[in-house]
Amino acid sequence: MKINLRVGLIIPDAEAATVKITLLRRLGYQGTLVDVRKERLFSIEVEDGEDPAQLAQKFAKELVNENKESYKASFNELKFEKGYIPVKVGLHIEDGEAISTRDRLRNRLGFKNVLGVEKATIWKLYLKGENQKGLARDIAEKLLINPHKDSYEILG
Amino acid sequence: MKIAVMQFPGTNCEYETLTAVKTVGMDGELFRWNRPAEELGSFDGFVIPGGFSYQDRVRAGAIAAKEPVMDALREEASKGRPIIGICNGFQILVESGLLPGTGKIDMALAQNVMIREGKIVRRGYYCDWINLRHDALPRRCSGSFLIDRDALLQMPIAHGEGNLVTADSSLIKKLNDEDQVVFRYCDDHGRTVDEFPVNVNGSTESIAAICNPEGNVLGMMPHPERAFFAWQMPSYDPRKHKPDAHGPGRQVFESMKRYIEVNA
Repeated sequence: MKINLRVGLIIPDAEAATVKITLLRRLGYQGTLVDVRKERLFSIEVEDGEDPAQLAQKFAKELVNENKESYKASFNELKFEKGYIPVKVGLHIEDGEAISTRDRLRNRLGFKNVLGVEKATIWKLYLKGENQKGLARDIAEKLLINPHKDSYEILG
Repeated sequence: MKIAVMQFPGTNCEYETLTAVKTVGMDGELFRWNRPAEELGSFDGFVIPGGFSYQDRVRAGAIAAKEPVMDALREEASKGRPIIGICNGFQILVESGLLPGTGKIDMALAQNVMIREGKIVRRGYYCDWINLRHDALPRRCSGSFLIDRDALLQMPIAHGEGNLVTADSSLIKKLNDEDQVVFRYCDDHGRTVDEFPVNVNGSTESIAAICNPEGNVLGMMPHPERAFFAWQMPSYDPRKHKPDAHGPGRQVFESMKRYIEVNA
């Protein structure tokens, strides 16, 4: 089973704001881009057995700083709200942070049922006009990824 | 001879770099990213210093690479003017397509991965003094114009993303064949060892610096401006205590000056 934690800031997100400003002012998306938001995604593969909702809460206690972040949990499938195009960006080379997170959860924090961790960034692109998925693809390739280390997926 | 030391939000080595530029006898001034980009045309050379432009948002160098001043630098590079990118400056040059020099993004400087005896022993940010071997011929590259092949230099590194990776399987061969690899991490004897701590960040073939095919654009992860004066050297280095000695990083700035004189 896979537990997905989508973690977003509840304080202003400077990185998302910088991406929005760069897309508007430098890359010509004035007529089509409305807003940009961002979430960190932890997809944690666990052995079946424990109640997934409770397990998600336990993981969130370790991975989410409630002073500045909130999270949404889903199980197996990633689910998104309407109104934006979610673009998932992750490394296609070895992801050291994901490996460290897996090892910390398993070896230091006692989650022996953790099989693997995948980390990614979800860019939530609020777009207007036609062919929004095409636009999202364009934005990913122009700014959000370096193809020599990152890959992306248009979700939703 | 006027050098623009570029300053983006988050750059933090601009004053040391400017001091190095001026000490070797060039004129220099800080050039803020939001100045009219066309003013760059009045300069003879450019240095993009280290730091964390735009706080490394999205990934190191990605946002600065989209600034209008980088379009102007692309134009200046095409005229043969020298550009040296140090650390974050190297990352910006890669993200803007100025290095390796095809105009598109041909490689990435990914997170450091330190490997010893087949095991990952450390990841991410690391700072230390390292040895560099100059692999290019003298006069091949603006920032190493005066440096002999196989010369050894000691400089500090301080970065989290300096691991050269590429999905283009032919790129490394091309860099080697065309003499675009300028510096490699090496041991005290000049030998490359593809293991931490000699290959300090896991970079492919221990590459620490590359130039474009024309040789006027150089990107390097180590900091020559932090090894410019002998007193900046680590305490175990005998040069530190010799008042007339120069630090090895000075050769990079002297090279740039000579490159401009020769190509004027």
